Amino acid sequence: MSVVREKSLIAQLAEALRCLPGVGPKSAQRMTYHLLERDRDGARRLAQALLSAVERVGHCSACRTLSESELCPLCASKSRDRTLLCVVESPADVHAIEQSAGYRGVYFVLMGHLSPLDGIGPDELGLAQLEARLDQGEVHEIILATNPTVEGEATAHYIGELVRARGIKATRIAHGVPLGGELEYIDGGTLSHAFAGRRAL
Amino acid sequence: MVQRRVQLECGYVLHRRPYRDTSLLAELWTVEQGRVGVVVRGARRAGSGLAGLIQPFRPLLLSWAGRGELASLSGAEADGPAPWLQGAGLLSGFYLNELLMRMLQRYDPHAGLYAAYVAALHGLMADPRRQALEGVLRVFEKRLLEELGYGLVLDSAADTGAPVEPEVSYVYHFGAGPMRANKGDSATALRVWGRSLLALAREQLDEPESLRDAKRLMRGALAPHLGDKPLHSRRLFAVYRVRES
Repeated sequence: MSVVREKSLIAQLAEALRCLPGVGPKSAQRMTYHLLERDRDGARRLAQALLSAVERVGHCSACRTLSESELCPLCASKSRDRTLLCVVESPADVHAIEQSAGYRGVYFVLMGHLSPLDGIGPDELGLAQLEARLDQGEVHEIILATNPTVEGEATAHYIGELVRARGIKATRIAHGVPLGGELEYIDGGTLSHAFAGRRAL
Repeated sequence: MVQRRVQLECGYVLHRRPYRDTSLLAELWTVEQGRVGVVVRGARRAGSGLAGLIQPFRPLLLSWAGRGELASLSGAEADGPAPWLQGAGLLSGFYLNELLMRMLQRYDPHAGLYAAYVAALHGLMADPRRQALEGVLRVFEKRLLEELGYGLVLDSAADTGAPVEPEVSYVYHFGAGPMRANKGDSATALRVWGRSLLALAREQLDEPESLRDAKRLMRGALAPHLGDKPLHSRRLFAVYRVRES
């Protein structure tokens, strides 16, 4: 008789759910029981959606964001301004800008930032692909919208060097006091950035 | 291991990366405790305010507690204004941090090296020109080796003990020191000018020639300590070579 017992399907499902961010053993168990007791249809839909997404979603060949087609809808769209290229760290950043900024250009998604201590360099960020895009000559301005962290700044500077070497305009998004914020409660770093980046009225 | 609790110690963040959903793993570099690994709980939660502080190159006052390899950060305050490391200075700063991460053991304090690090960061901020930045890096590397007990002999010849003369070409033998170059030396030997050695000893690298010599010398001297894994931050400087060519 075999001593090793196979894990039950219920336990396997709970363990699989723990790969989601923010899901510990307790919530995984709750989700498992909810799906099996009350919502088997939902569970089936979830399983199918997961499978087809994992199999069919790849990266856009132009901007590297997640996309199920060769070109993502933004890159394929005819109404976008192709002379403006905004460089961001993640697909979530594209979504955030699309929601709010009224930006009409196209994007390039790095899927990370330069982080030499983690071994992430220019090659891992697809910068060769970005350079090839710049060399095509369609882009007139690059907007560097990496995060205002030390690594984000380094990434912006590095790309800025590549861009300027080609005589293309490079701009960096402004950092400063958030709307509705109060100066008294803002950290010193942000405040000094806001002062350095002040503009004439 | 005893529980340790450290309050408001001067230090910098060398490196940090996301951990779990809202936390960070950070590597600190402090005066009294040396390199320390800590978990920063909740740092990435909106409104925690810690994420802005736990950044490299910022002087901080740090408090932590815990036992073993990984402690838990209990507080961080800014210790002075955030420095303006920018552009090439920023990339050079990553290089300093990577060197420290690779060369130092945890809980091994080096007050002298800490002072050299602070001085190097200020040097990187003071003058953003490439030549000045390179000088700052070489001086830091020299002091790093000295502090770790691998200091280079720069002022006297290893074989004769005679003082190094500026206008003489030397071959540098690691583990021994400079020796007067002669015809028998192999083509791959590390040749440097006496004046470059003296400039490095004085920590005044103003000439392009002595900077070049110091760079080759320091690369050779650091190589055995770094092992086979290349320093990733060195790759970043390639962007300037493309531009200058």
